[in-house]
Amino acid sequence: MSSTTSMQVPLPASTGGGGGGEWRAYAGLGRWLTIAIAVTVVALPLSLILFQSFLSAPFFMPNKTVSLEAYRFVFDDPDFWSSLKNTCAIAFGMLFIAVPMGGVLAFLMARTDLPGRRWLEPLLLTPVFVSPMVLGFGYVVAAGPVGFYSSWWMSLFGTDAAPWNIYSLWAITLIAGLTHVPHVYLYASSSLRNLGSDVEEAARVSGASPFRVARDVSLPMVMPSLLFAGVLVFFLGFEVFGLPLVLGDPEGHLVLTTYLYKLTNKLGIPSYHLMAAVAVLIILVTFPLVLLQRRLLRNAGRYIAVKGKAARQHALPLGAWRWVALAIVALWLIVTVFVPLSGITLRAFVSHWGQGVPLTEVFTLSNFTDLFENDSLVRAIINSFGVGILGGAMAVACYTAVGFAGHRRNDWGSKLMDYLVLVPRAVPGLLAGLAFLWVFLFVPGLKEFKNSMFSIWLAYMVVWMAYGMRLIQGALMQVGPELEEAARSVGATKGQTSRYVTLPLIKSGLLASWLLVFMIFEREYSTGVYLLSPGTEVIGALMVSLWATGAVDQVAALSVINILMVGAGLAVALRFGVKLHD
Amino acid sequence: MTKLIVEDLHLSYDATQILKGVSFHLKAGEVVSLLGASGSGKTTLLRAVAGLEQPSSGQILLDGKALYDGAKNVNLPVEQRSLGLVFQSYALWPHRTVFDNVGYGLSLRKVPQAEIKQRVQKALDQLGLGHLAERFPFQLSGGQQQRVAIARALVYNPPVILLDEPLSNLDAKLREEARAWLRELIVSLNLSALCVTHDQTEAMAMSDRILLLKNGKIEQEGTPAELYAAPKSLYTAEFMGSNNKLSAKVVSVEGEQVKLAGDGWELNGLARDWLTAGNDAQAVIRLERVRVVDGPGDNRIKAKLITAMYLGDRWEYLFHQGGLRFRAYGGEPRDAGDYWVEFPANDCWVFAAA
Repeated sequence: MSSTTSMQVPLPASTGGGGGGEWRAYAGLGRWLTIAIAVTVVALPLSLILFQSFLSAPFFMPNKTVSLEAYRFVFDDPDFWSSLKNTCAIAFGMLFIAVPMGGVLAFLMARTDLPGRRWLEPLLLTPVFVSPMVLGFGYVVAAGPVGFYSSWWMSLFGTDAAPWNIYSLWAITLIAGLTHVPHVYLYASSSLRNLGSDVEEAARVSGASPFRVARDVSLPMVMPSLLFAGVLVFFLGFEVFGLPLVLGDPEGHLVLTTYLYKLTNKLGIPSYHLMAAVAVLIILVTFPLVLLQRRLLRNAGRYIAVKGKAARQHALPLGAWRWVALAIVALWLIVTVFVPLSGITLRAFVSHWGQGVPLTEVFTLSNFTDLFENDSLVRAIINSFGVGILGGAMAVACYTAVGFAGHRRNDWGSKLMDYLVLVPRAVPGLLAGLAFLWVFLFVPGLKEFKNSMFSIWLAYMVVWMAYGMRLIQGALMQVGPELEEAARSVGATKGQTSRYVTLPLIKSGLLASWLLVFMIFEREYSTGVYLLSPGTEVIGALMVSLWATGAVDQVAALSVINILMVGAGLAVALRFGVKLHD
Repeated sequence: MTKLIVEDLHLSYDATQILKGVSFHLKAGEVVSLLGASGSGKTTLLRAVAGLEQPSSGQILLDGKALYDGAKNVNLPVEQRSLGLVFQSYALWPHRTVFDNVGYGLSLRKVPQAEIKQRVQKALDQLGLGHLAERFPFQLSGGQQQRVAIARALVYNPPVILLDEPLSNLDAKLREEARAWLRELIVSLNLSALCVTHDQTEAMAMSDRILLLKNGKIEQEGTPAELYAAPKSLYTAEFMGSNNKLSAKVVSVEGEQVKLAGDGWELNGLARDWLTAGNDAQAVIRLERVRVVDGPGDNRIKAKLITAMYLGDRWEYLFHQGGLRFRAYGGEPRDAGDYWVEFPANDCWVFAAA
């Protein structure tokens, strides 16, 4: 080959210190600006909670002093200790119910020929996407002392009480455990799906039956992710709010979050300092758990990484056991999904109910038509849609910006972002909402935003930052580094590479994230509780306050609308094959 | 004595037929290789014998007992077949030590602890792994992992050991050593083995008999020497060894003797197929049979040497002759230029053009 005269095309950026240098400085600035904003929106509300907890009165009172009074009050309050005890009981109970069930469910769904796996999968995930408030209401109207199913049981067996009591601590723990099975299922099943079937086949060839394969090979190999899911569930046990709020009230069982909620008016004036002290105490438990989760997640793929080629997956035949397995799954589904959801739906379409009342006679649509005559309820529906669709898109944009700020860099900035996104994870939504309320009250110039949807959106965005970042980072990791390196080597700056290569490649990942964030924002209820004001009504938070006033008709109708919104999101997600988990 | 019999085995995934009636026997103490290109069904056949794939009809008999019989609806589950299987990926359990990996099959068979310990240690010692018992798989090299996988498959004395591409995960250098070691192991332990491979050299070196598979059927079956030196079809001839392929027209056929003509050349060859004068044909000749000679003569062509490549133990020459390209081996370096090349008539196999 004779060498042809090659012509070197100089890059505009390399022609000297001119335009290119300025662009580069600008791109760097954008990144640091992103980091600075992210640090502010995460750190400001949190430090405010910490600050408030060391004051003797709410921060806006003139007579406040720095003291440990708030902590002293809380530690002297027997309600605090009983709620701590209940929280621990519920968290451990959830751990022991959700982890084994989730593991078994994941094995059945991911590795065996269980009948009907395709349509079971979205059903299994429903409790993740339906608001716990809605599930709680559902249990009350379905299985409470005068619930539909309780009434049917009583008239069927002629007893004057149902054999269960959903208001006991045991029942709350059981329900919380059952509704958190999908969280374990998600992590265990994605690990199991990544497991090559060769290791299981090797065990079968060695002489192991399907159940020994599960016991000796499959489940031990996904032990790191089961451990992770266990810590996650335990952590969520400290966060549960909706279920104990609805189910714990009749018998007065408090948990830490509901204790904090009830503190609001304990002393007649807003007792912000007490709430802040409880909040700090909760975060002291949850933050180490979040750090532990992070460590465990790193190990979660430990055994998976050693596998050989992930060959075609072969489903393990269960034989006659498949019907037993299906019965177990169906029973779980009935108790956890069907009972509460059918209960709340039924309740939304009747005017009243009781033993011996035929449902056809009390059927009504007035619960829904009444909704539209109430301005705040209509606003709540519109706002919920808005914060899900528009707010979801904006949140994904923010997460993407933060994701790019840390993408394939290894300086202290990206390490900071790494830990920063974990912080809001440790703060239960109720506390985060409270903290943002204070930010909007406290920071000069922000007061007028307090009664706008911006406050709700900002709180939602920060609370779900860790979740959103996992989605974005998952999408970013799909882009092979060599594709970006190729762009760099032909002369693109980091910013140009992001715009020209990375962003177009993760487009579908971003759309999927938008959809998932939409569902999460529709489901959210606790973050908006303290930010609720005329103009910022969202369905979730409004249901909490309506339930307190006993407006069951409205709550039931709103619940059904909420389920439909999330269901629509879920249907679109399934239609477009969005992976509901990583 | 025949260990394993496979009779007219059929298997399909949905609508795609993978195996279309495969039959073979495996005698005690014999090593049989399933050789074929990817997609030929060789791995599926092995997995069907192991019980990991579900055939649609046919028979698999081990020591006269049916593992699978489509007609009688017999299908023994994998774990009751008691065969030894070495996976291509080794499939070692990463959460168990080497000792536990190897001992698992014995503990499933309720062998007492003390005996397990002794038998596992013996198996590991046999394979030169005695000092690695407490290690985890990820602490081992590729070659050591392979030996653990073999020890795990051998420890409970299976009647037949199945090997799925046992050498393909090793480095090229290690592969040759491992091949010799594996052959030695199989011979010294008098194992009956069924081995899948896509590498014809590996198949020839390892086995007593080779089954060459093509699209779910056996193309040819025989000893390595038979497959290499007496291929019955163009596919077999091309699959084995390194070949030159010449397209030509048949000029005349006399018994086994065929006269071929190409663009400016004529050659005599050996008919390996049903040929008719005037039709298109394919001649196949192994690289090592083509010889560079001093001058003109029978079955010789004058060709231009384009380049000579040094392979260490020999040279490989690339020749052009009109539209014809062919290669040959030789012992010395040669400069580019014109040479006479001989194609011995008996090594020049002629098949009808496909």
